[in-house]
Amino acid sequence: MRFATRKRHRNGTTRSDRATRAARGPVAIVVATTVLAALASPLARAQSPAPEDLVLRVGVVSDLITDNPWGVAAGSDWIVATIQYDMMLRFAPEDLSPAPSLATGCEPNADSTEWTCTLRDGLTWSDGSPLTSGDIAFTYGFIVDNKISPYKSYFPYNPTFETPDDQTLIWKSEEPTFAPDMPPWVYIVPEKVWAQYDGQPLREIKAVTNTPSIGSGPFTLTEWNQGQGWTMERNPNYWGETPEVDRLEFRVYSNQEAMVQALRNGEIDFADGLKPQLIQSVEGLDNVTVQRVVSDWWLNLAFNFGGQSKQSDALPALHDIEVRRAIAMAIDKQAIADKVYLGTATPGDTIIRPASAYWHLDIPAEEELGFDPAAANALLDDAGYADTDGDGVREDPSTGEPLELLMPASQDTTGAVEAGELVVGFLDQVGIEVNLRPVSDAKMNDYWGAGNFDAYIWYWSGDPDPDYQLFVFTSDQCGNWSDGCWQDPTFDSLYEQQRTEFDRAARQELVFEAQRRAYEQVPSVVLAYPGWLQAWRSDRFTGWVPAPGENGYLMPGYNYDSLVALRAVDDSVAASSGGSSGIPGWIWLVAGVGIAAFIVVMARRGRRRELDEA
Amino acid sequence: MGARRYVARKSLQAVVTLLFVLTFNFFLFRVLPGDPVGLLARSQRLTEQDVASLQAELGLDRPVASQYVGYVGQIMTGNLGVSLRTGREVTSTIWSRIGPTVLLVGLGTLLATVIGIWIGIKGGWRRGSAFDTSTLYGSLALYSIPEGWLGMLLLLVLSGMLGLFPAGGFETGGETGVARLVDVLDHLFLPLLTLTLGYVGQYAIIMRSSMIDVTHEDFVTSARAKGVPEHQVRRNHVVPNAFLPTFTLIFLNFGFVLGGAIVVEAVFSWPGLGLLTYDAINQLDYPMIQGVFLLSSAAVIVFNLVADITYGYLDPRVREA
Repeated sequence: MRFATRKRHRNGTTRSDRATRAARGPVAIVVATTVLAALASPLARAQSPAPEDLVLRVGVVSDLITDNPWGVAAGSDWIVATIQYDMMLRFAPEDLSPAPSLATGCEPNADSTEWTCTLRDGLTWSDGSPLTSGDIAFTYGFIVDNKISPYKSYFPYNPTFETPDDQTLIWKSEEPTFAPDMPPWVYIVPEKVWAQYDGQPLREIKAVTNTPSIGSGPFTLTEWNQGQGWTMERNPNYWGETPEVDRLEFRVYSNQEAMVQALRNGEIDFADGLKPQLIQSVEGLDNVTVQRVVSDWWLNLAFNFGGQSKQSDALPALHDIEVRRAIAMAIDKQAIADKVYLGTATPGDTIIRPASAYWHLDIPAEEELGFDPAAANALLDDAGYADTDGDGVREDPSTGEPLELLMPASQDTTGAVEAGELVVGFLDQVGIEVNLRPVSDAKMNDYWGAGNFDAYIWYWSGDPDPDYQLFVFTSDQCGNWSDGCWQDPTFDSLYEQQRTEFDRAARQELVFEAQRRAYEQVPSVVLAYPGWLQAWRSDRFTGWVPAPGENGYLMPGYNYDSLVALRAVDDSVAASSGGSSGIPGWIWLVAGVGIAAFIVVMARRGRRRELDEA
Repeated sequence: MGARRYVARKSLQAVVTLLFVLTFNFFLFRVLPGDPVGLLARSQRLTEQDVASLQAELGLDRPVASQYVGYVGQIMTGNLGVSLRTGREVTSTIWSRIGPTVLLVGLGTLLATVIGIWIGIKGGWRRGSAFDTSTLYGSLALYSIPEGWLGMLLLLVLSGMLGLFPAGGFETGGETGVARLVDVLDHLFLPLLTLTLGYVGQYAIIMRSSMIDVTHEDFVTSARAKGVPEHQVRRNHVVPNAFLPTFTLIFLNFGFVLGGAIVVEAVFSWPGLGLLTYDAINQLDYPMIQGVFLLSSAAVIVFNLVADITYGYLDPRVREA
C-alpha cells in the first residue's frame, strides 16, 4: 500500500525536498573535487620525476622453474643463465662456432690431450671480485665430480684441470679430444659461492636459491616473483662493453593473446615465443617487427625396432627398409609446415637442425624421398605388402597381420598431435592404418622406455655441435637415449670417426655422411623444422644482434650480444618505460559510479522516510 | 542435544573428512601415468643412472605405502615437503601465491555475495517488476556464460580496444606505497569484474527464490495485518528467514577461495593458486599437488564446519535433530 499524501513542513518544504537539498551540498563537493583532480592529474604527471632508466620489458610464456644454474630445465631458465653467466668460450653470433669470451682462445698440444686456455685481463664478478682461471677450473671440476646433467656430457675422458696462474687454465684429457673447443656449453660460476656445496646430494645442490645472483654477464638476476616474472639489473662490473639498457623486466603471461595485446598497448617491448596463429595479428602492425628464428629443433616421427624391454613389440614390417621409405614418401612435409605451423616451419630432411648451419646437410632435391604417394604405393606393392582382404589396409605377407601402427604423439610438443592427424590421412592413402594417441610427455616417457609402440611423434633438440644429436642414434644407446633401438654399424662407425676427427673440414664431411646414412635408412622421418617467433617494438628499440645468423634469436638464444648492443630509438623511450603512468582511467569510472549511487541512495532515503511518516 | 555436543560432533566429522581427503589425494595423483623424474630426462639429458639416483634421493623408489606413511608423518609436523620440480619448499611457494588468490577470489566472492544478495532481495520482494525481470534474466545469462569467455571479452574490449587496463599480471612492479596499491588495483579490476559477474548470478537467483517462498508464509501475512510497515516486514521477518539457504552457500564458496580460479587466472596471467595447481599437475610435482589440495580441502572443510555451527546458532531447529 502506498500513501500518496505528503506531509509539509510549516515552511512549505517536504522531507524529500529537504533531503535532496541536504544531499546537494556533499555531492557538489565530491563532484568539484573529482573535476579538480582530473584537471590536476596531467600536471601531477608532468611534475613527478620520471625515472630515466632504460628498461626493456619482455613478455614470456613460462616462468622460471629455478634460478639455480645447475637445475636449468626449461626455456626461461636458459635465458637467465645465458644472460648472467659467461662460458669460457662463447657461441659466435654468425654461426655458433667457438669465439673468445672469458678466454681469448684454447690451444691444443700435439696430440690434443692437453689444451691451454688463456683468459683475458681484468675479469671481474658482479660484486667486483676478480674472476680467475680458478673459477673455471672449479666450475668444470664441480660438474665432473658431482656428475651434473646436462653439463657432464661435455667432459669426456675424465678430464682434470690445472691453473698455473690466474689467467691460464690447462685441460688434461686421457684421450685426444676437441671438447674444450666445441665449446662446452657450460656457464662459469663463482667458486666462492658454490664451493660449499661440493659433494652434497644433487637434489640439494639444485635447491640452492640464487637470487640475487653473482655472475659475470651484462645483467644479473636481482628479483624473482614466482608466477609473475623476474628482474635483471645491469652488472656495473661487467668486463665487456657497457650496455645502454639499465634493466630487464620479464613478465610471465599465461596466455599468448594477452601477451600480444600487451605488446600492442606498449606494456611490453618484446614478446618471446609466439604461437604461429598469432603471427597475423602482429605482422600487420607498423611499430612491431617479427623475427622468424631459424629452427633449432625438429619434429621427429621415429620408428620402433624393438629390444628395449620385455614389453617391446614393434611391428616386424618396420624392419623392412622399403616400408620405412614408403612411409617417408607418403608424407607431405610441406603440408605439415603450412597447415600445422602456418608457414613458420620448413619441411624437415636430416637429423641435424638448421641452426647448426655449418653441420646441417641439405639433401639435394633429386636425392630426396619426396612426397609421392604413387611411388610409395608402388614400393609397397613391389615389396609384397598387398591388401589381401580388400579392407584398404595392406597385410604383412610374413605374418598375415595388417599394417597397423600404434602411434603416440606428444601433446607437449608444439604441433606434434596436429602433424600426427595429417600423417594418419597420408598413410591411409598408401594402405597403412595409424592409431594415433595424443598423450602427455609423462606417458611418452613410458612408451619410450618400454618400447611398446610402433612409431611415435616427438622432438629432438640438439646442441650447436652435432655430436650429441648423432650420439642418440647409435646402436648402444638402445634402452637409453635411442628412440626405437635402431642398430646400424655403418652409422656407428661414422659417428666414431667424426668424434675423433680434429680437422674441421674433414669432420664436416663425416657429419654429412652420417646424416646421409640416417636419411637413407630412415630410422626416423624428420617431419619439420619449426621456427621460434619473437616480436618487438621497432619504434622503441633497435640494434639487435641475431644469433645464429640473420634469422637467429634476438634474445637468448645462445648468447647475450643483443642485450649489450641494444639501444633506444630515441630519448622518449627511457622516459616512458619506467615509472608510474598517472591516475588510471578506471578510477574515474568507479568514482562516477560511486557518486551516482550516492545520489540515488540519498534521494531514495529521503523519499522513503517521508512515505513512512505519512 | 546440547550446543557443546553438537559442536564436538561436527568438529570430529570435519577432522575425519580431512584425513580421508588427505589419503585420497595422496593415492589419486600416483595413479597418473608417468613419473616426475622421468619427465626431466629429455630436457636435462639425464641418463638412466641419473634418473634412478634422483628417484632414490626423492624417495620415489620406495613402495607407495611407505611413501604415504612418511607423508602423513611430515604433515603432522607441518612440513608440506619440497617441490620435485624446483626443490623449493612447498609451503613458501604456496604462501607467495595466497595473497593474490585471496585478493582476487576472496574479494570477488565477497562482492558477488553482497551485490547478489541485494539484487535477490530486491527482485524477490518486488516480484514481476522491471527490476526483477531484468535482473533475473541478467543473472541467468551471466551465470551460464563461461568465465573464460567473459574474461577474454572484457580483456579484448576494455584493455585491447580501449586501452583502459593492462593486459595481465599482478602489478607492473617497482612501485611502493599508494602508487603500488593503485597499480595492483589497476591490474585487479578486470579479473575481479569477471569473477564477480560470474558468481553474482548464483546468489541473486537463490536469494530471490528464497524471498518469494518466505513471502508466502503465514507469519508474513500476520505481520502485515498487524500494521507493520512494509520495509520492516522485509527487513525483520522475510529476509532473515530467506537468508538461511544462501548462508550455507556463502560459507561453502568462501571455502573454495583457496582453490583459486584457474580459468580467470589463466586469462589474466594472475599468479594465483589455481594456475599453480594446474602447473603442478602437468609436471607431476606430487608434493606441490598434495600441498595445494590439502590446503583447499582444509579450507572448505573448515568453512563448512563454521557454517554448520553458526547455522545451528541461527536456526535452533537444526540443533534439535
